[in-house]
Amino acid sequence: MPYLLDPELRDFAERLFADEALALTASEANVPLAFRVFEDLRRPLTTLAGAAGFRSLLLRALTLAKRDEPSLDAWKVTSDGSLESAGPGQNHYDVDRGALLLAHIIGLLFTFIGETLTLRLIHDVWPDTSFSTSTAEGTGNHESRG
Amino acid sequence: MNREDKVKINKLPTGVPGLDEIMGGGLPEYSFNIIAGSPGCGKTTLAHQFIFANATPEKPALYFTVLGEPALKMLRYQQQYTFFDEGKLPGSIRFVNLSEVILEQDLDAVLKEIIRQVEEVDPGVVVVDSFRTVVRKAAGAASEMELQGFVQRLALHLTSWQATTFLIGEYAEAEMRDNPVFTVADGLFWLYQTAERNSIVRKFQIMKLRGQASVPGLHTFRITDAGLQAFSRTLGLTRRRNTEVSSRRLSIGIPELDKMLGGGIPEGDSVLVAGASGTGKSVLATQFLAEGIRQGEAGIAAVFEERPKEYAARAGSFGLDLVTPQTHEKLNILYLRPLDLSVDETMQEILDAVQKIGAKRLVIDSLAGFEMALAPGFRTDFRESLYRMIGALTGIGVTILSTVELEEAFTELPFSTYSISFLTDDIIRFRYVEIDGQLRKVMVVIKMRGGNHSKDIREYEITAEGIVLIGPRVRGYQGLITGIPTQIASSGSNKRPLRKPKARE
Repeated sequence: MPYLLDPELRDFAERLFADEALALTASEANVPLAFRVFEDLRRPLTTLAGAAGFRSLLLRALTLAKRDEPSLDAWKVTSDGSLESAGPGQNHYDVDRGALLLAHIIGLLFTFIGETLTLRLIHDVWPDTSFSTSTAEGTGNHESRG
Repeated sequence: MNREDKVKINKLPTGVPGLDEIMGGGLPEYSFNIIAGSPGCGKTTLAHQFIFANATPEKPALYFTVLGEPALKMLRYQQQYTFFDEGKLPGSIRFVNLSEVILEQDLDAVLKEIIRQVEEVDPGVVVVDSFRTVVRKAAGAASEMELQGFVQRLALHLTSWQATTFLIGEYAEAEMRDNPVFTVADGLFWLYQTAERNSIVRKFQIMKLRGQASVPGLHTFRITDAGLQAFSRTLGLTRRRNTEVSSRRLSIGIPELDKMLGGGIPEGDSVLVAGASGTGKSVLATQFLAEGIRQGEAGIAAVFEERPKEYAARAGSFGLDLVTPQTHEKLNILYLRPLDLSVDETMQEILDAVQKIGAKRLVIDSLAGFEMALAPGFRTDFRESLYRMIGALTGIGVTILSTVELEEAFTELPFSTYSISFLTDDIIRFRYVEIDGQLRKVMVVIKMRGGNHSKDIREYEITAEGIVLIGPRVRGYQGLITGIPTQIASSGSNKRPLRKPKARE
């Protein structure tokens, strides 16, 4: 079965990005927004899964996201699990591509540890964000992937 | 120093049903413990049950994962257990991955990272899973003294920080002698898993537990969707006071048999009813239960060869109502047929049922069925466990009637194939006899530990009212207990066999 990203996850990831953009301070403006979001996520997930664990998760999410957005080819995952761009002119407010990658990470976590635990982890990083979904089984697309 | 001056060691619930009892009330707070065993025997699940039972936002649990099962996979699988409360993550239970520190740095760095996390989080419980990985790393790079120093500093620091600690490891028993980890530990819990024929047998042993008396020996445990459940060898009855010796006699529901028993079964006795198939052992057992219910005594029937509905229906055919009492919690018919049961687990189920309805009478129908329901590996423990259960239950005043099926021998009168007559206070033997060209049934009370009993051999029939004794003792024959009696001639001088005995096949 072809892999499809749940639109609700995409929407949730976009809202996370929007909230982060609003919270940007002047000193943070020189760091691309997407990279900052992933840096926020990297710390708790590295504590949980280890640096190698987080890196492999991010690599997998990036691979999946590239299928929807080939321009993400320019994004690389460093050995410590940080994101960097190999291409020129990184857009600081590249919400679309960042949200796509984030949605895939959340989707993978949904698949591995379930929606409830994933959202509790995310809530720990972004306490003000809520994920409302009418379907409890929001992971279906990830689970059914062959 | 009197008792009041001594420090009180709090006991924490293990979260594993049955295990607190084995531990002697729970796990000592601030203890430094090891959970050891082979892969897949339930070490991680045991630690999880403990942390979910004890972690709070104020005193969270810190779970260090080290090169073993990745945390995400651990969470994926552990959340399948019913004890897993996702509400406790990440606030009350925090997972920390130490893999990189182990791979890239030395023992000092590992200790520093653990201490840093412990000081930051102030946990009530700390788990290192697997600590074996840490030790392996140390063995490659550090001397035994360095490893001992590391373990001691770790234990010292975690205890000072008021944390109860578990180190999980895949150790072999042979390592116990040389491994400093075992010396430092306050508690050492070993989980075993062996395949015996087609069954998996799981056992738990407390090798060491400082500060309190635990129940020694190997205890069986099971892993279900609720996690581990342990079954104490003592079935949790060791500390219960025996009731005072009763002089009461319980009616078995057949007045003539009560008379043979010297007025009924002494309360708190264990009675064995032995006989061949079809001699009426189960009928007698149901009459015993029904009579108890009539007198307001709740009962339990542990049946292994019939389903409860069939058992009650068959009793109904003898005019005994075993259906209504079940709805009033006066009777519980336990069907314990599934294979692979451990003997202690089965007995725990019986004990729970006895305690739940305050049963005064228990029927085990039959011992052969009971043994067959057990996993092969547990059958060797059968007699020992049965002895413990019967001793424990009769000690609290429960009267037990067990049935045992015997292959009929026409040259002797065995009481049991199990050599379990030592378990019983009283024995009633049913048997077929060949008289006047008919296969009839006789019974005899073989033994009554509590006193005198009839020595008569009585003929009986199974009628619509159940077992009915007919006539006085069987006279005019000798050799009744062999099953092939000879008639005694009226003159007393001539004996003639009723029929030539057949040779045994």
